[in-house]
Amino acid sequence: MITVAVLASFAVVMFGPAGMWLERSSWPRRAPRAAIVLWQAMGINGALAAIGAGLALAAEPLHRGIVSGVANIVGGAADRRSLPINGLYEACGLTLAAIAVAVLMAGMVNTTVRTILTRRRHRILLDLVAVRSQEAPGALLLRDPRATAYCLPGVRPRIVVSDGTLELLDQSELAAVVDHEWGHVHERHDLVMLPFSSLIEMLQWMPYTTRAPRSVAALLEMAADDYATRHHDRRVLASALVSMADTSLVPACAFAAGSKSIAVRVERLVSTQTNSRLSATLAIGAAGMLLAAPFMVVGLM
Amino acid sequence: MVRLGELEQQVIGVLWQDDGSELTVREVAAHFPDHAYTTVLTVLDRLERKGMVRRIRDGRAHHYTPTGTREEYAAALMREALSSTPDPDAALVHFAESVSPEEAELLRKILGQPGPTRTPRTKK
Repeated sequence: MITVAVLASFAVVMFGPAGMWLERSSWPRRAPRAAIVLWQAMGINGALAAIGAGLALAAEPLHRGIVSGVANIVGGAADRRSLPINGLYEACGLTLAAIAVAVLMAGMVNTTVRTILTRRRHRILLDLVAVRSQEAPGALLLRDPRATAYCLPGVRPRIVVSDGTLELLDQSELAAVVDHEWGHVHERHDLVMLPFSSLIEMLQWMPYTTRAPRSVAALLEMAADDYATRHHDRRVLASALVSMADTSLVPACAFAAGSKSIAVRVERLVSTQTNSRLSATLAIGAAGMLLAAPFMVVGLM
Repeated sequence: MVRLGELEQQVIGVLWQDDGSELTVREVAAHFPDHAYTTVLTVLDRLERKGMVRRIRDGRAHHYTPTGTREEYAAALMREALSSTPDPDAALVHFAESVSPEEAELLRKILGQPGPTRTPRTKK
């Protein structure tokens, strides 16, 4: 029963207060990539712990620990010698674990397929409509007076800017923006985002599932900013950011709720404070411990 | 040999250039003397399957007409790009979300820049 309690408490902490703490913390903006790894580790820890708790509950009556207990149950089912489920504990535990796995998998597949289809449709049209940009090498140009810059990630990525963007930005700002988008593409931020995107649509009541996707999306923007500023001036990118975000210059269809993150990005770019190695190291260390913890609990108890 | 994708772009370009009128395969193929008639037909077929052109039967001849202008399609793409708010589940990753002019003003102060440069800056 202790195993069940420990694993369940992992899940509760990870999907509850831990996410609230990480979202409120300010160190992630000085170590965006490490903070993303920590968000990932928290999610994996919580999911493994929840599934493990279900299995531990199922194996409980056998008094043999999770691994051999579950092996026993599954083996019994395979042999058809005995009904695999003969107690309330087992039934509840196995069902909970199975539901958790199924829900997560289904959500992920659903999001992946939908995202791929949307991007594919967009790319097919884009390739017919857009022209190669002279001003921004490597980018496609949409002939539209409104300003936009975005990337279409994937195996056949596209960076897109519009006439409006060329009007709005000077040459060095434009180059920095395009490089920021390449950062998303090269570092495969779309793959990082995918599991978090699928979380948004389910389990809305958990602090983690609402906070993690938002935070990780913002952190990925910072990571792409870092990528761009390896070759471009930080202030140039910051100034491009403000121009592109300013609705008096760029009409927006929808106001973003989290416009705070633009301010954070700008402050981060103009600040003399560089990324913190210490924060990154600590975060990665914590992530490693979180990943190992569920296995240690199962192994030790 | 030009890739079919590029040829598609050129063929739809010809139809768009012709401003919504209907062209026969032969008329389209006349723009591409380096390509066989059947190649152009294949490309038009692919464009039709993508929903970019419509085939109109007129007696024995087939006419092709684009389903929308280039500007309409560009606008549709822009709409999709602009409406994809920085929602983390958006399929497109935007460079910047929007802030109000007041917020932008504040950010420019942080940057130590004067007010918004409404006129396009001179390109270096």
